[in-house]
Amino acid sequence: MKRARRGDLTAYDELVRRYQERIYATIYHMTSNHEDANDLAQETFIKAFQVLRSFRGGSSFYTWVYRIAVNKTINFLKQRKNKAQMSLDDLDFNAEHNPDLVALISEKTPRREASLSELQEKLNAAMQKLSESHRLVVTLHDVQGLSHEEIAKIMNSNIGTVRSRLFYARQQLQALLADYLG
Amino acid sequence: MRQDTQDFKQLRRLLAIKRHEQPPPGYFRDFSQQVIIRIQAGESGEQAAFVERLLWEAPWLKRFWEALEAKPILAGVVGVALCGLLITGMVYSDRAEVPQVALLPTPDQMAAVSAQTTNAVADHPLLARPGALAQDSSTSPLAAMPAEAPILGDITKLRAQPVSFTFPSGN
Repeated sequence: MKRARRGDLTAYDELVRRYQERIYATIYHMTSNHEDANDLAQETFIKAFQVLRSFRGGSSFYTWVYRIAVNKTINFLKQRKNKAQMSLDDLDFNAEHNPDLVALISEKTPRREASLSELQEKLNAAMQKLSESHRLVVTLHDVQGLSHEEIAKIMNSNIGTVRSRLFYARQQLQALLADYLG
Repeated sequence: MRQDTQDFKQLRRLLAIKRHEQPPPGYFRDFSQQVIIRIQAGESGEQAAFVERLLWEAPWLKRFWEALEAKPILAGVVGVALCGLLITGMVYSDRAEVPQVALLPTPDQMAAVSAQTTNAVADHPLLARPGALAQDSSTSPLAAMPAEAPILGDITKLRAQPVSFTFPSGN
């Protein structure tokens, strides 16, 4: 970290490798678009490098980079509003063998693969209908598995706000995806 | 919280599908390298880096900029306000620079200036003593003219002569 702050790009490369997947995933789940996620993830790390000297270590580097990514993504989404064109990442092989997912769709349709893709699209469309702040808490908590405390730090808010946003976001998603929930 | 843990259980299982969404194979192999290349290339430039740092260290400025980006109407209002301020500033600065004197001198002022000029010409040492010019300069043909005929020597003697015209009658 100290080396990276002094401008050592090899050290910074290590930092990027450590957090790239989580940062990319957060942005991807917020935008539901691979190309946008790619651009924003790269810009996040470039900006982080540019302002690395102002990082005072009050929070962990992980939380700090997350905050940059989240701010960048929310700004991007505000500008993009209603222009969303989905270019979803493919589901990996494990999705077809995930017992929870299989149980969810087995009664709906016999063509599992087709219905998984359809489900993916419906799910992402529902996510895009949430406000940015609600989508963010669902992404960070239910998809990425971060704790309420971590999310509160990233969003610069308190835990109560995070919990209440999560509750309302889930309520909306449940209504939007009622056909897929028993 | 009971509702949180029970009613949303299925939804959370459904949301788990998103964990299986993955970018193209090998995507992360080159990701950090692309970031480093862009940093090395100074893609954003030093000036942009300075702006980024400024926005990062002055959050209010950042919020203001974000508000402008997100709301075009607000950006328009701010733009109009700035233009108004600029025009007001220009108008006031113009007014402040206008001298507080009349454009045409009064007859008294004209008479005073005329008298001063006449005295200055009459008292000038070169005009009063024409030979001085010839001594001081050997290159000027004007200065080398005969001392008895100074060019401006008679100016002081000029006087206005009243003129009268008589028009032939019969027209």
